Amino acid sequence: MPKCLVCYKWTLDEQDIKIKPEDLSLDSSRAKGKISDFDRNAVEEAALIVEKEGGAVEVLSYGTAAVKLSLKDVLSRGAEKAHWIADPSAENADAAVTANVLAAAIRKLGPYDLILCGEGSSDLFNQQTAPRLAALLGLPCLSFVQKLTVEGSTVTATRKLEDCQETATVSGPVVISVLSEINKPRIPTLKQVLGAAKKPNEEIKIADLGLKPEDLQPKALRQSVKGFVMQRRNVVYKESSAAENVAKLTASLASEGLC
Amino acid sequence: MADDKFDAIVVGAGLAGSACAYTLAKAGKNVLLVERGNTAGSKNVSGGRLYTYALELLEPDLYKRAPLQRKIVREQVMLLNERGATTIDYFNPDFGENIPQSYSVIRAVLDEWFAAEVEAQGGMVASGILVDGLIEENGKIVGILTGGEEMRADVVVAADGVNSLLGQKAGLFPDVKSHAVGVGVKETIELPDNLINARFGVTAEEGAARVAIGCTEGISGGAFLYTNKGSISLGIVFNPEQAAKQQRHIQDIFQDFKMHPAIQALIEGGTSVEYGAHLVPEIGYQGIPKQLHREGFLVVGDAAQFGINTGLIIRGMDLAIVSGLAAARAIIASPSTAEMGALYMKQLEELLLVANQRAYQNFHGIFEISRIFGGYPKLANDAMQFMFTVDGKTPTPMVKGLLRAVKKHATFGQMIADGWKAYRSL
Ligand SMILES: Cc1cc2nc3c(=O)[nH]c(=O)nc-3n(C[C@H](O)[C@H](O)[C@H](O)COP(=O)(O)OP(=O)(O)OC[C@H]3O[C@@H](n4cnc5c(N)ncnc54)[C@H](O)[C@@H]3O)c2cc1C
Repeated sequence: MPKCLVCYKWTLDEQDIKIKPEDLSLDSSRAKGKISDFDRNAVEEAALIVEKEGGAVEVLSYGTAAVKLSLKDVLSRGAEKAHWIADPSAENADAAVTANVLAAAIRKLGPYDLILCGEGSSDLFNQQTAPRLAALLGLPCLSFVQKLTVEGSTVTATRKLEDCQETATVSGPVVISVLSEINKPRIPTLKQVLGAAKKPNEEIKIADLGLKPEDLQPKALRQSVKGFVMQRRNVVYKESSAAENVAKLTASLASEGLC
Repeated sequence: MADDKFDAIVVGAGLAGSACAYTLAKAGKNVLLVERGNTAGSKNVSGGRLYTYALELLEPDLYKRAPLQRKIVREQVMLLNERGATTIDYFNPDFGENIPQSYSVIRAVLDEWFAAEVEAQGGMVASGILVDGLIEENGKIVGILTGGEEMRADVVVAADGVNSLLGQKAGLFPDVKSHAVGVGVKETIELPDNLINARFGVTAEEGAARVAIGCTEGISGGAFLYTNKGSISLGIVFNPEQAAKQQRHIQDIFQDFKMHPAIQALIEGGTSVEYGAHLVPEIGYQGIPKQLHREGFLVVGDAAQFGINTGLIIRGMDLAIVSGLAAARAIIASPSTAEMGALYMKQLEELLLVANQRAYQNFHGIFEISRIFGGYPKLANDAMQFMFTVDGKTPTPMVKGLLRAVKKHATFGQMIADGWKAYRSL
């Protein structure tokens, strides 16, 4: 009966973020929050495992004060208890800082048999949290997982690699990061939503984690964030024969080093 | 609280539902507000002008807390022909000084705020939940069904909007008939505030409300335009049956309206950020179903077809709030579910909702005068063009010129008939 912990991030919904045409800066003033997409898969997977095998699911998130907005949602998805760390440092945290904070919290809360993460977050998609966590906690790590089975203390994972699938087994505690195809996250029912309001959640103060100042100091510093806009060349080839048009097109692509 | 039983379940977190749930929660009732959208307001479409007396009825000064946009101080009526526009502009900076008369609002923002207020009062809000049925026992409604789950309550309030599924499930009224509803489309266009202020002659906190007729190709209906903070809401409401007969698509009519030179100039440089279509209860008092309750079940807001559309004024949101309040008061005051329905009807009378609806009860007769939506706006513009044309040629005598403009669009017989019809409707 595995004891599971899912780490999740409360991100802005990218659909609500607009790019300002003047300077390509981002306008997120209207953006709502959501549980990062792959993390939602991770919560679902833990819930499915526990529904089958027994055990328990807890969740953990490190974010700014906004992280509190996630509790009702995450608790309606099958988790029994939420732990959250709300600290301004999360605003500029890089993957190392995030992993430091989460690992410290897990040491305090744990041990867990399975620690699940999404493969990457919807906003930064660093794909580093799971491997870093594993390294900090001294645990094995299975990433890119598209199928997961747990039997007793044996965890079997199918990993999706570039051009093949790999199946791996681990026994004992492990950190896993999942892909979106692993499952289809549930839409919480009314009872699950109402139940969420009664489930416990607990704040962990970052000061109580025994972290050193340098643990919270991001080494990768974000200098700027800009929207990406496709620029079209607007070239139309109007030769009389298709062959000529194709020749011109390929020549032009070649001159740009594109073929 | 028993785990699966509430004092009241309110379905739909529009203004009617939130007003009802807010009042119930404030009175200490154990209330559940259920909304199908992922957040309250995410699916709701209104032009966006709220008459604030309704919020004031709910709770004095509540409007001061609400995220409203601009206080409307300019009322404008536009009569359009193909490329011209005759605009009447009434400016009153003190309109409704103590309780400002109306504000432009953005539903996504307002509804989300309102649902949060319900939670702050101790109400339970569950969003992302579609209610798909009612539980009936011994002739009473005793709860709701959603995705195979049951949830029980002493009373269910249907605040689920114009196409009320629950009202139909309760057997209170058949499907909405197409002649009873108008179709509305609305677009929100972002525009910097300094441009809005300059184009509409308002200061930063003030706003303009504009209605336009003559833009629906003779189909009964009209357009509206409201100034928000940093955006403009504009849209069209019209009769879907007539449009179908003329084989016109609402998108095309709306597009033509936006391309009209007088409208284009107002929205130029803006970015469209939202587009939605929705039904509107249109025929007012006569459209309200005879029966708005059953034991354990009350219908409020658009679901009850409350609405007033005079062509100059579209009201639905204020009536939604007032009816939500009426239902809540009835629930609070009733010793048992048996009396609730009658008390609700009494509250609707006491809060003057019925009087408001009745005052306009024949009004939709106006909408049957097709010339109002084509001929007469054209006439106004032709008359203006005649009066303001100076070209050095021998001027046509005033009366003759004006008569010529009139005759182009209507005979005297038609005008008298239309006038009589209008008189009877008012
Ligand atoms: C284009 C247009 C312009 C308008 N302009 C104005 C205006 O300027 N001023 C004005 O006062 N009125 C205006 N109205 C009318 C106004 O929008 C409505 O009268 C008002 O929204 C009614 O509020 P309501 O709460 O009854 O219903 P709604 O606002 O429709 O709310 C119903 C809620 O119920 C939810 N719901 C529905 N079914 C279910 C279900 N089965 N389960 C769970 N939830 C459900 C919906 O998601 C929605 O949130 C306009 C309408 C339109 C279409």
